[in-house]
Amino acid sequence: MDPQQPEPVSYLCGDCGAENTLKPGDVIQCRECGYRILYKKRTRRIVQYEAR
Amino acid sequence: MDKATKSASPSGAKEGDYAALRELFRPHVESFDYFLDAGLEEMLSSIRPMEIKDPNSSTILKNILHALNSFFFLFFPFAWNCFAHKGHVLPPMRDGRLGVPLYPQESKLCHLRDADPHKLVFHGEESTEMGGYFICGGMERLIRILILQKRNYPMGMVRGSFLKRGPGYTDKAVVIRCVHTDQSSVTIKLYYLQNGSARIGFWLGGREFLLPVGIVLKALIDTSDREIFTSLTCCYSDKYGRGKGVVKSLEYLVCADIDYDLPNAGKYFRSVMEGFQHYDYETVAKAVLKDYIFVHLENNHDKFNLLIFMLQKLYAIVDQTASPDNPDALQFQEALLPGHLITIFLKDRLQDWLRKSKRLIIEEATKNKSFDLNNALEVRKFLTKHTTSVGRAIESMIKIGKVNSQSGLDLPQRDGMTIHAERLNFHRYISHFRSVHRGAAFAKMRTTSVRKLLPEIEETVNFLRNLKLLAHSGIPEDLEVGYVPLSLGGAYPGLYLFTNPARFVRPVKNLFSVPGGKQSIELIGPFEQAFMEIRCPDGGDGGRKEMFPASHEEIHPTAILSVVANLTPWSDHNQSPRNMYQCQMAKQTMGFCGQALKFRTDVKAFHLQTPQTPIVRTATYNKYCMDEFPSGTNAIVAVLSYTGYDMEDAMILNKSAVDRGMFRGHIYQASYVSLFTECIDLSKKNRENVPEIFAKSVLSRDTSTAIDSDGLPRLGQTVHPNEQYYSVYNRLTGTIRPVKLKGSEPAYIDYVAVNGASSKGDFQKANIRLRRVRNPIIGDKFSSRHGQKGVCSQLWPDIDMPFSANTGMRPDLIINPHAFPSRMTIAMLLESMAAKAGSLHGKFIDATPFSSSVKKEGKHPRKPDSIVDELGPMLASYGFDYHGTEILYSGFFGTEMECAIFIGPVYYQRLRHMVSDKFQVRTTGRIDQVTRQPIGGRKHGGGIRFGEMERDALLAHGSSYLLHDRLHSCSDYHIADVCSLCGSLLTATVIRSDTQKKDKREMLGVPTVRPAKNLVCHACKTSKGMETVAMPYVFRYLAAELAAMNIKLELRLSNKSELPPSQGS
Repeated sequence: MDPQQPEPVSYLCGDCGAENTLKPGDVIQCRECGYRILYKKRTRRIVQYEAR
Repeated sequence: MDKATKSASPSGAKEGDYAALRELFRPHVESFDYFLDAGLEEMLSSIRPMEIKDPNSSTILKNILHALNSFFFLFFPFAWNCFAHKGHVLPPMRDGRLGVPLYPQESKLCHLRDADPHKLVFHGEESTEMGGYFICGGMERLIRILILQKRNYPMGMVRGSFLKRGPGYTDKAVVIRCVHTDQSSVTIKLYYLQNGSARIGFWLGGREFLLPVGIVLKALIDTSDREIFTSLTCCYSDKYGRGKGVVKSLEYLVCADIDYDLPNAGKYFRSVMEGFQHYDYETVAKAVLKDYIFVHLENNHDKFNLLIFMLQKLYAIVDQTASPDNPDALQFQEALLPGHLITIFLKDRLQDWLRKSKRLIIEEATKNKSFDLNNALEVRKFLTKHTTSVGRAIESMIKIGKVNSQSGLDLPQRDGMTIHAERLNFHRYISHFRSVHRGAAFAKMRTTSVRKLLPEIEETVNFLRNLKLLAHSGIPEDLEVGYVPLSLGGAYPGLYLFTNPARFVRPVKNLFSVPGGKQSIELIGPFEQAFMEIRCPDGGDGGRKEMFPASHEEIHPTAILSVVANLTPWSDHNQSPRNMYQCQMAKQTMGFCGQALKFRTDVKAFHLQTPQTPIVRTATYNKYCMDEFPSGTNAIVAVLSYTGYDMEDAMILNKSAVDRGMFRGHIYQASYVSLFTECIDLSKKNRENVPEIFAKSVLSRDTSTAIDSDGLPRLGQTVHPNEQYYSVYNRLTGTIRPVKLKGSEPAYIDYVAVNGASSKGDFQKANIRLRRVRNPIIGDKFSSRHGQKGVCSQLWPDIDMPFSANTGMRPDLIINPHAFPSRMTIAMLLESMAAKAGSLHGKFIDATPFSSSVKKEGKHPRKPDSIVDELGPMLASYGFDYHGTEILYSGFFGTEMECAIFIGPVYYQRLRHMVSDKFQVRTTGRIDQVTRQPIGGRKHGGGIRFGEMERDALLAHGSSYLLHDRLHSCSDYHIADVCSLCGSLLTATVIRSDTQKKDKREMLGVPTVRPAKNLVCHACKTSKGMETVAMPYVFRYLAAELAAMNIKLELRLSNKSELPPSQGS
């Protein structure tokens, strides 16, 4: 992957719940409703748990 | 987080379900309503208009405020905020404490006012949300209810401090706290003087003014000495022959003051009365009478009569025909409600604003000749200059709890007005709102007395239940009729009626009023209560005589208990201190912190993952919907001494039970990261100039870190101590600043919210919530609901636990039998039996205290008296032992235990004191820069001080090696180079040749023996006498400090008695 183009991160709108995908430099605002607080989604990476 | 989950409604929650809970918070919420509805208007109309005289044209600008009333809110950011947020849909807390919306939750301006549970849940709140607090800097702050002297009631007081008013003053006075309709108050003291006269004292402009009572009497109305004399003596009984002296002194009082007159008095006040500089003395004096003498009365005749009454009471106290009143009694107290505090503080700030604006305008008018006072636009420009200070003052009052005002507002204290409403658990949360603070002075006094027995938060018993806020028209239902009967040397008699707000009120049954047999509930106050006959259904007559039958009856004996105390099952079977301990511990319990947890960003939240509802519960538990926030687990408790690990209040947890989820919990820690920190005033210009944004380094290809490509952590990722979890990019310098996780344990990223509220919508504000695991481990603290706390000493394997002969069950928890005999918590034994019976029957057991005394006689003729006799048959019917014991087998040997063991479910709470938050261990680590000794403080990885007393203990044992190890080797061990010739510590100089070697040595760590170095004494210019000496580094530091003060410190390195050469010569 090109290091100059970091992968976009997706967020959920705090008001309408729509999914927003933002790149660095984008304005933090929901595309559907214009709400300005976005929650990060849970990472899709495998989160390793302690296996005991 | 999406729409579907949000709108999920609480199953079957109806509007009325939480009415009882709401009732608890009513004093707070409704006092804010008062502030918005009536207080604001009342307060504005009572502010004295400012007058500004133009020095150029001598035109007078009057009534600034009245002109402003219409567009008042535009200037007033506090109120403005209320309006700005009116249409807001989301509660600001969830938005991650951005901006400072300062309206009380659930007040009339809050959009969630009177919202039903569905709406509350929809907006991400608890369905039980009661409001009554302010959201301020991400915290929920509430204004404490404070105890004040009862308003408008003249109180006779004897205080030593009155003697200090001046020569001739006695320690007796009648004090009245007069409250204006806008809730601001002026306290007036009527001092008794040794010569028999009296002085009126009140505070104005930072000092106390003392006026002879005679001139005030004459100033109030046009009266003659004769009239004053007759009214003073009219109800005075000359029965004891001692009255003559007082009457004499009355004459003296009136006659002596005759040469004072009103204009004369005005002279003294003109300088301190704001805005009266240009008036004659008489107007000033009249204004003083209006604004400071008995402000609760309008009419001068009323004021005169009140003053006469106070004089009569004063003389009665001096004469000892009446006793002084006790200011610590609830009878003479009322509450300072949050809304009232805001009203009076706002009034004070507005007056201050007016003063400042006036100064500005006058300054401008003197400077600028063309300035026209009639030009409204010009004037407004100056008025708006200080408007933000008003809103900011209120904001900071709520934020830090300090009331900054010149006058002191007649309040007993200036700081500590607000506190943080911690949501540690529901009990604690409720207690914050229910508690009545007795004042900072009282709290200071309390620390010296025995603290152990006092509850953590003072909670008045029942009175707060119905703080009445406003008097109604007609005869109010909460009219307080205090009839003080005539007595010999008792309280000063009279008939006192109270209808004012902020009184304590509580409901009792009235036994008389309704003839139909149905009893009516009456609200009574603390003043009348002292003179009432109130029966309590506790079986006794309360020492009441036949002649005085009870007129009222308590609704239930549990009325003496607070909400939290009411939750202890069968608290009437416990020794009383144990109930107090439970009330303290209930507030420290780690409970279920709420359904709305995922929407909240509390700074720290404790959360119990697997709570249960108690099987044994009181009526209060259901009433206040405690099931919304359960705070414990029904653990199967065996009372036996099994392993030796359960001694001294230690307890053994079943390891398998813990593995199944018992007492598992988490700590949620939210941190709000704003990259605006450096600019203090957030004006637009500064905002755009903030160079930092969240970003990940473009060059870094490392995907193993927790940092996502937006610079913020990945949700769900584990972060280890010292691992980077977010990074900040500086746009000006182009540098990346990664931020590491502090602390010594891993954390999980639980929640990340970004906020684009800044003008450009940049990544500059984020809220990161971390989750830390707190599973039960050795050293964690647990307690039952009966003040029986203990520390987990082992997590015992399930297979080694004892097991029941009948059921094969193993206990979750083992406590030592010695916990019971001295503590006498019988209710815990009852709870164990009852919970066992209840779980067998499949129903909850009611454990309301004192319920046996309210049982109707003859209703259950066969029902036994003792609770054991109720529970025993229930157990026996299922084949269990009547008394709750069971035969157990040893888990080690499989043999039957000789003794039957008392075992059953008991509701156990996990307290928030956990070892993971407390342990402090250190081998090596950070040291102090100056002394090279280990630093203190757990946060910085410091050690625990090995102090003087510990040192003494080692000395006494003669354990010198250990002492040396602790205080020297493990502390600031240092090898110093000393010149034995001159005895100096500081003059050693290294010869430069072997610097490389030195570096190598340092890398190997601290050596105990140093290889010889090429050293030279700077003073002696020789390396002959150089020696190495081990010493604490501070000693060397001391030598350096002394050298700075021109004192030489010399070491003698041999036992030879000769002095070093420097001293000899």
